[in-house]
Amino acid sequence: MDSRDSLSSDAARDSSSLSEDAAVLSVTSALAKTALSYFQSGKFEECFDILIQLDQKKHNDPKVLHNMAIAEYFKDGCSNSEKLLQGLNRVKKQSEELASAARDQLEAANPGTNASVPKDHFDSTVTTLNIAVTWFHLHDYSKSFSILEPLFQNIQRLDETIALQICFLLLDIALACRDAVNFLAVFDYMEKAFGVGFGSHEENGSTMQLSSNQVSKTSSLLSSSVASDTLKSELTAAESSLCEETLDYDNVLAEFEAEKRMKPVGHIPANNLLKTLSERTFSNADLKLELQLYKVRFLLLTRNLKMAKREVKHAMNIAQKRDSSMALLLKSQLEYAHGNHPKAIKLLVVSGIHKEAGTSGIFKNNLGCIYYQLGNYQASSVLFLKALRSCSSLRRNEKPVKPFSLSQDKSLLIIYNCGLVYLALGKPLLAAQCFQKASVVFWRQPLIWLRLAECCMMALRKGLLEERTTSLDRSEIRVSVVGKGNRRQLMIEENGYVELAGNTQLSKLSLPLARVCLSNGIYLLNESLSNDSKSDLGSTFSVGMNETKEASSSDHEEANTNSDLKEAKGGMSQDIIQNSLSAFKDMCSKEKQLMQQALFANMAYVELELENPVKALSAATSLLQLPDCSKIYVFLGHIYAAEALCLLNRPIEAGAHLSAYLVGQDDFRLPYAQEDFDQWWKHTSSDCEETLDPSTGNARESVFLKPEEARGALFADLAALLATQGHHDQAKPLITHALTLLPNNVQATVTAVYIDLMLGRSQDALARLKQCTRVSFVPGRLEVRAS
Amino acid sequence: MMIMKIEESAIVLSLLKSDLRPMDDVLSEFNSKFDDSSRFFSVCNSLSMMLQDQKMLQNTERLIAFAIIHQCYSSQKPSLNPFLSEMMSAACNEQLEKSERAFLLHLLQWNSYNNVKEILKQSAVDYIRSFDPSTHDFPELRELQREYGDKADPGPSSHIFADYSLKKLLHDPDVPRGCDPNSPEYVFDVQPGGNPRIGSGDRDEALSGFLGNSTMGGLAPRWIRPCPPRYPVHQSELLWIDPDNKHELVWDDKMCADTSRGATVRDLLVKGLKVTLSPMEQEDITTELANDPKLVYHCGITPRKLPQLVEHNPQIAVEILTKLIKSPDIADYFTALVSMDMSLHSMEVVNRLTTAVELPKEFIRMYITNCISSCGNAKQQDKYMQNRLVRLVCVFLQSLIRNNIINVKDLFIEVQAFCIEFSRIREAAGLFRLLKTLE
Repeated sequence: MDSRDSLSSDAARDSSSLSEDAAVLSVTSALAKTALSYFQSGKFEECFDILIQLDQKKHNDPKVLHNMAIAEYFKDGCSNSEKLLQGLNRVKKQSEELASAARDQLEAANPGTNASVPKDHFDSTVTTLNIAVTWFHLHDYSKSFSILEPLFQNIQRLDETIALQICFLLLDIALACRDAVNFLAVFDYMEKAFGVGFGSHEENGSTMQLSSNQVSKTSSLLSSSVASDTLKSELTAAESSLCEETLDYDNVLAEFEAEKRMKPVGHIPANNLLKTLSERTFSNADLKLELQLYKVRFLLLTRNLKMAKREVKHAMNIAQKRDSSMALLLKSQLEYAHGNHPKAIKLLVVSGIHKEAGTSGIFKNNLGCIYYQLGNYQASSVLFLKALRSCSSLRRNEKPVKPFSLSQDKSLLIIYNCGLVYLALGKPLLAAQCFQKASVVFWRQPLIWLRLAECCMMALRKGLLEERTTSLDRSEIRVSVVGKGNRRQLMIEENGYVELAGNTQLSKLSLPLARVCLSNGIYLLNESLSNDSKSDLGSTFSVGMNETKEASSSDHEEANTNSDLKEAKGGMSQDIIQNSLSAFKDMCSKEKQLMQQALFANMAYVELELENPVKALSAATSLLQLPDCSKIYVFLGHIYAAEALCLLNRPIEAGAHLSAYLVGQDDFRLPYAQEDFDQWWKHTSSDCEETLDPSTGNARESVFLKPEEARGALFADLAALLATQGHHDQAKPLITHALTLLPNNVQATVTAVYIDLMLGRSQDALARLKQCTRVSFVPGRLEVRAS
Repeated sequence: MMIMKIEESAIVLSLLKSDLRPMDDVLSEFNSKFDDSSRFFSVCNSLSMMLQDQKMLQNTERLIAFAIIHQCYSSQKPSLNPFLSEMMSAACNEQLEKSERAFLLHLLQWNSYNNVKEILKQSAVDYIRSFDPSTHDFPELRELQREYGDKADPGPSSHIFADYSLKKLLHDPDVPRGCDPNSPEYVFDVQPGGNPRIGSGDRDEALSGFLGNSTMGGLAPRWIRPCPPRYPVHQSELLWIDPDNKHELVWDDKMCADTSRGATVRDLLVKGLKVTLSPMEQEDITTELANDPKLVYHCGITPRKLPQLVEHNPQIAVEILTKLIKSPDIADYFTALVSMDMSLHSMEVVNRLTTAVELPKEFIRMYITNCISSCGNAKQQDKYMQNRLVRLVCVFLQSLIRNNIINVKDLFIEVQAFCIEFSRIREAAGLFRLLKTLE
């Protein structure tokens, strides 16, 4: 009620109540100042007490309540985000109600006039921003985005500092969601509104270049004396672990020196070019660097490595005046993306982020990524674990909370990496745990569901899904000797039957879970394919932004001629940006297609494993219907469909699937070539200069059938099909061929034995069994038990 | 567990061998030992495997084995017995003893074979001994299938692999051939047996080993089902982390702040809608607007109020419009400007705006069209006013053309017609000449 009174008095400010108001105002504003200073010095208890006093004076003032919620959150050690969100949402709702009430009141006071509510009074921008910030830290990016979206639509009306904060938050959200479209919308606006961006650096660039050369010259003089011993040793250590690559090492050193020199920022003379824009509160040089770094991140996101290289150089030039660790980190990421891992490691070390507690986890994570790409999964997993540990220690040790510090908890992202490396190491149970934890953040992405399903399938292969059955027996043939003497018989047994029921060992991973995961993945992917025009965040900034883009293309502060010139330049680099954006979109849709193929193939496989041929057939058919399907998946689609059809007693159709690869009467062509495989394996990483190094190459080979083996599978499967139809004579040469291509294959051997027996050649069958190394002749069970 | 336990196979084996006890006695013992019906399937499965080999079990044992299989599913309809088809084919198998076939027909209760109970009261040995083959006639398999077949459960698995599955038992060829009386077709093998106990194999041991080992299903051709490859990890899937901007909670520093500064501007502007403000007052507004770049969005001038402000304080209007140029609502302000009555002040505002900011071409065009048409409309009112308006428009257009704000070609015909219509006015003639020079 008080606030409403103050509003009406505000509306009739010329009346006599002004002086009285002013008295109250001076007291409260003094209190507000005290509260702020307590807040800034991290004394949240005291701050909160002052706010309680304020609340008593200005009852239900939304802004006081807002700051109370913030202060309380910090007072409690940043632990209760839920309470904070509740508080902030309540404040937001309240100020919106008050605002609309005030509007009504004004409307009533002077009808007809289009009343506009005075600024600041019930403005909930700050509250909204804080809600979005909280969701951001809770990793709910799409929620955070949707909260910020209306603010961004009206961003011109907002104070510059808060507008900047909103924009930066939006940029980080877009990066986290890999949403290049929205990133660009925000970035474009920032470039226009804050005067630094894609177009403007060209003319600045040249002078910057010049000055940087001077810097590097001087710094090279200093290099021997300045470098601290520890860092130097780190550098050499990093270097020794790399291969002998000829890279411009001097350059790296110079950068490194520059970084050292830049630590005291103050005494660098301000650049004249920057001065013209410097009425702003946010230091323009900072802003310029910040935006340049974001530009590099955009280019890295869209995998435009060439441009990124150019822009990161520019960022380094700007950064020499200040902190260049971020620029170095991006440079490291660029080299990582290039597949130039030694250099990436070097730059990562040089960036120095491992020295600070807050970022050492990030350092270890990124190093882990590099080691993963080098095929050294063991080291990679150790690094990810260490990264997790430093994150969690950060959470625990940072007490008292330094003012303005929400925990920068990246552990959920690192956990995802952990999952990938565990999968690569063949540890599906650990990997699944990681993915399940990380799904809090990534549940919208189809890929994580595919990975979880892969965990289930790997666990199945490794026999981790069964009750107690020894995994060794899983794919072997057993020949049991039963009886003795003239009654001695051999029992050929394939370990085909696995009982799934009642496995208590791990209730989480199972084939039905795999099925659920895959259908989640397919659903999400279909959704994102159907609104491919839209962004992953669910919506894009409306066309309104484009209008303002045009309207604001020239700034009134500049002369017309100048603006023309600028526009031309901006347009040119705008082209590049748009190109890399559309290239990125193409890349994404290609990746989605590949993922779709993988999802359907896995689904067909899982359904077959679950003895559900109808669903398996439909998944396989969907797979085969996909446009531009990779040959590998076409092969799998045919094989799965044929098997499902057999299980459905439709052998003719099954045969049709296999005969797609038939050459003549009884020969198969290779269903895919090694190049197809390599291409698929590298999938769209064609921009990457990396040639598959031997270590990862090995891992790859064990991943899937070689083309010849795939051909063997076709022989074996056709033989099996023919055998069931009684064409044993026809099947015989096929299965013999299959066994030459796939010696020791259990299924093929069983089929061969079957055919031999059907042809009445039991001696041949036994000879076959003896040849196969995967047969174990076991003594009768009773004897074993008895001994 | 599909496999029989050791104790279970021992029980079954002993039951099979009790050929001197009445068969229903044997069956009731089976029932008492196997009270868990979920075990029936594996027992029957093992038995049926052994029954497939005609030489493995003795005749009496075969009878008991069939009886047990029958017993296990006797509470259900015969068609639900998964081993029905095997019983049927055995009943029609000419190679089998007629006594056994008749026994099966009794179990199946086919036509006249209806005294199961009587038969089961005998021991297996007694049954065979008392069997008189002459009194029986045997049906064709088809007839049996007609009776039960279409109702019969096709068995535990019904796809083609299972249908064609083969019994998975194989005589060990390492057993010297001659020693196996059951396989006379084998000729003697070179392989030396070397085992003194050859030929004295323990049949019981073989049987129980068998019972213990056999699992469901036969040996069938197998399909190779390649596992799909792991989806490759693209570089971008591994999450490279950058420290993000420290997005912190923001303190609202507008709390209890003094809002009077904005208020003075608002009050002055309300006044400015009605009267021309003094230079001092105008100065105040300009400085306040410059101090707070966002104030313009909250100063209370809406598109609806804009015409009034333009009429009384064109400079302030220009000031505000230039600051609002980036606003998403600027189009509404332009619309207000276009649709207001033509006047010196409005033209002054537009003219100044053209030099300060870049205006949308569409807006300028609309505005000029509007100017020209209001000159024509003014004729009815007042000749003097009309002349004044025309001269203003001409000056305005000349200024726009000279400053390259508009492209004459876009409006050439319209403007030319206007000049010709008002050629009596000196400024219009001047504009016309300007047009001609540009042509």
